[in-house]
Amino acid sequence: MEYLGTIGILIAIYIILAASYNLVIGYGGLATVAHPIFFAIGAYVSGLLAIHTTLPPPVSVLVGSGCAMLASLLLAASALRVSGDYLLIASLGFQLGLLQLIKNLAFTGGPGGLGGIPATIVGPSRTPVYLAIAVVLAIATVFAIRALVRGPYGRAITAMRDEELAFSALGRNAMSMKLVIFAIGCGIAGIAGGIYTFYFQYISPDQFEVLQSAAILTMVVLGGMGTAFGPVVGAVLLLAIPQAITFLQLPPSIMAPMQGIIFTLLVLVFLFLRPAGILGDTGRRRRSAGLT
Amino acid sequence: MSHVLRTEGLNKRFGGIVVCDDVNLTIAGGEILGLIGPNGAGKTSLFNLISGVLRPDSGTIRLNGKAVNGEPLYRRARLGVARTWQHMLLFRSMTVMENMLVAPRHYPGESILRVTVGRAGVRSAERTARERAHAILDRMALDGTADMPVTDLPFGQQKLIGLARALMNDGPLLLLDEPMAGVEGAAYETMQRVVRQEAESGRAICVVEHNVSFIRDLCSRAVFMINGRILQDGPVEELISSTTLTELYFGA
Repeated sequence: MEYLGTIGILIAIYIILAASYNLVIGYGGLATVAHPIFFAIGAYVSGLLAIHTTLPPPVSVLVGSGCAMLASLLLAASALRVSGDYLLIASLGFQLGLLQLIKNLAFTGGPGGLGGIPATIVGPSRTPVYLAIAVVLAIATVFAIRALVRGPYGRAITAMRDEELAFSALGRNAMSMKLVIFAIGCGIAGIAGGIYTFYFQYISPDQFEVLQSAAILTMVVLGGMGTAFGPVVGAVLLLAIPQAITFLQLPPSIMAPMQGIIFTLLVLVFLFLRPAGILGDTGRRRRSAGLT
Repeated sequence: MSHVLRTEGLNKRFGGIVVCDDVNLTIAGGEILGLIGPNGAGKTSLFNLISGVLRPDSGTIRLNGKAVNGEPLYRRARLGVARTWQHMLLFRSMTVMENMLVAPRHYPGESILRVTVGRAGVRSAERTARERAHAILDRMALDGTADMPVTDLPFGQQKLIGLARALMNDGPLLLLDEPMAGVEGAAYETMQRVVRQEAESGRAICVVEHNVSFIRDLCSRAVFMINGRILQDGPVEELISSTTLTELYFGA
């Protein structure tokens, strides 16, 4: 049960990550790969606060999220000022640079990671309580984003992605909208990082490598970019499959490469059969996801 | 006479190419000014300078007497510069009504604060915008298309939607970039009627157009541009009948 609970928490955390990434890249059309680094900022800041201060955990998580938001604004304000395409390369550099910094600073635990994060909840109810918190937050994230993109705000985002020049010439401030979308998405990733830290009590820089960017992107693309529930489907699928094949009792020499092969196969199959993702539609919804 | 738009000594060059050379232009409220000239004369660039897509190298752009040079594109729209595009630039994944609703000068939906905590205000602004959109579409006999994906409309109607969307901005200046290119039949009549009505309501309108009969029907005054320069500014008939200008136009 403990094991399944942990997987459930992990899935909920990745739903939050994938949904917020989908807001940025799927709806906002902002090509960034640095989502895991905002996850990391949330995780490290709240972890360090938990170790060195007596702040209540929710406050630590919120401060971590605020730091992720601020960092995202720094990145976006400089990269988007040049041009939208610049964000992709700037975000990659930002991610690699910050990760190097984390690996080389003493107070973050360096390459060995940050351990000794105090347990806030002890006893047998620990995992169920965390599971409940994570699931509620995941549901709240998915539905809040859905509500946001369904209303006038979502209409403005779609218009901006369709024709930014015409959008601006109608009196809309595209730059500030992009910054807001980016900051919200990255702030939510920071919250996911905080929950991760408090539950697992240990974080290592390896978890936030570019491979993570690929994993979260795959979840979003597989589920359906620019759809409200696509990231949920993607996150569940990508986290459940590796767990499921462990039940096959295969020898480790086969198991390890199996996961990579299955992921690659999935992506290839989807590219051919459902390029808009599982929940993505052809036609109108697909166009609004910016895939055509 | 008070001028809605006045440009003073406007200059713009891209490297060695001069797209705007000491342009002094005025348009009064209620006037429809025709802007004509061969391809590459700098007509669209002038629109881009006035609407704020481009920044001039030197010179001043005044809207109702107030210099707007420093204002970015989106803020000039809020100050009342409405424009259409030669290639329409409609929001292709949206319906006609959705295209219209993004376009009012003051649209609360773009503010995350207002859509989360100021919902009542947003709702009433939406209602007002929707009414205005219906009224504009109705004038063009396009109200039936409100919920259709904008890309499902025939070309001529898409052109009209481009104008309709610009009209959601109730500002004093309207710039029309080749509104008639590719438009014929009923859409042609509608375009002409609506542009005339807008001028009658007091808007200052400037039209870039290659369709000479459209210019002749609508404008009393026109400006002939070539190589970024205003070569002649005067009554339409005078410009159209000038053999020198005709030769320049056709590159003879």
